[in-house]
Amino acid sequence: MIFIAILIGCIAGALIGINVPMISYTYSSYLAIAIIAALDSVFGGITSVINKNFNLKIFVTGFFGNAILAILLTILGQKLNVDIYLAAIVVFVGRMFVNLAIIRRYYVDKWSNMIKHKDKK
Amino acid sequence: MKSNIKKGKITMIITIGISCFALSLIMSMQFKIVNETDITSIENMREAELRTELANWKSKYEETDEKYEEVLDKIEEYKKTKQSNEETEKLVDEELKQVNMTMGKTDVKGEGIEVTLEEKDDEEIGRISSDSLLLIVNALKSAGAEAISINEERIINMSDIVDINNSFIKVNGQRILAPYVIKAIGNQSYLESILVGNGGPVDEMKKIGQNVNISKSNNIKILKYNKDIKIKYIQ
Repeated sequence: MIFIAILIGCIAGALIGINVPMISYTYSSYLAIAIIAALDSVFGGITSVINKNFNLKIFVTGFFGNAILAILLTILGQKLNVDIYLAAIVVFVGRMFVNLAIIRRYYVDKWSNMIKHKDKK
Repeated sequence: MKSNIKKGKITMIITIGISCFALSLIMSMQFKIVNETDITSIENMREAELRTELANWKSKYEETDEKYEEVLDKIEEYKKTKQSNEETEKLVDEELKQVNMTMGKTDVKGEGIEVTLEEKDDEEIGRISSDSLLLIVNALKSAGAEAISINEERIINMSDIVDINNSFIKVNGQRILAPYVIKAIGNQSYLESILVGNGGPVDEMKKIGQNVNISKSNNIKILKYNKDIKIKYIQ
């Protein structure tokens, strides 16, 4: 059920996004940082599912809040002439790698357990 | 209890769907922007790139401006030389014109007098000799005549007025016949007075009894010397 929701959401978003009129190149950096923040939230969500402490409210607020906060920080950075978006990227991508490592470890453990189980049989 | 769980699940599905939708929407938008934007066009350059580009253009502009200035200077120089050339050309042209006029190579006109000498069929008075013509011409020259002709033969510095066998007169190697018409351009009163004044050649001739007429005119035309002026020995 959830997978169908994800699939439909993704396809619909992609279709609409391709057909939407182009945004000026100037704003694309904000969009990029928002994407990174959202992806970070997604991986964080997957990790929390694995750890069995997934909370929908936290996920949703993190998803949108992080994206908006990242955009605001980027704008602030441009106003202050400091490349804050670099810090945001470092933090988000670093957290993504950490989350990915957790996910990877979980599935590797699961897989090796399966193989052990098979061998015992 | 069951419906409560279901409700929670439905909200979860919807919210996750929405977040997926939002994520893929902005991602595809971003892909599209990155794909379709020409980053070399000036509107999309970052500030630093623009700055270096601007500096480049500035230096190029300065270089070109310098060259332009140089070329302008050169043009100015050429103009100056051209102008001086034109001036000398004008001067030389003027001089040439003057020389041609005085040398008798062009037709000229102006105020002056016309002397007509008619021969009488009278043995006593006799024919008009080249000496009389020479005297008149010399007198006219001394009175400042600028151009003289005898029977349309222009008198130049090389002209000859000679008697041949005491029977006819040659001017410029050309035989001329009476009546002799001497035209001269110059100050009318000077020219006339030197001829008719006491002891003047016309006065003398009139005394002998020869028929001499002098008429003034403001529009005397004297034709050019109609032969080539050959220079062989002047170096």
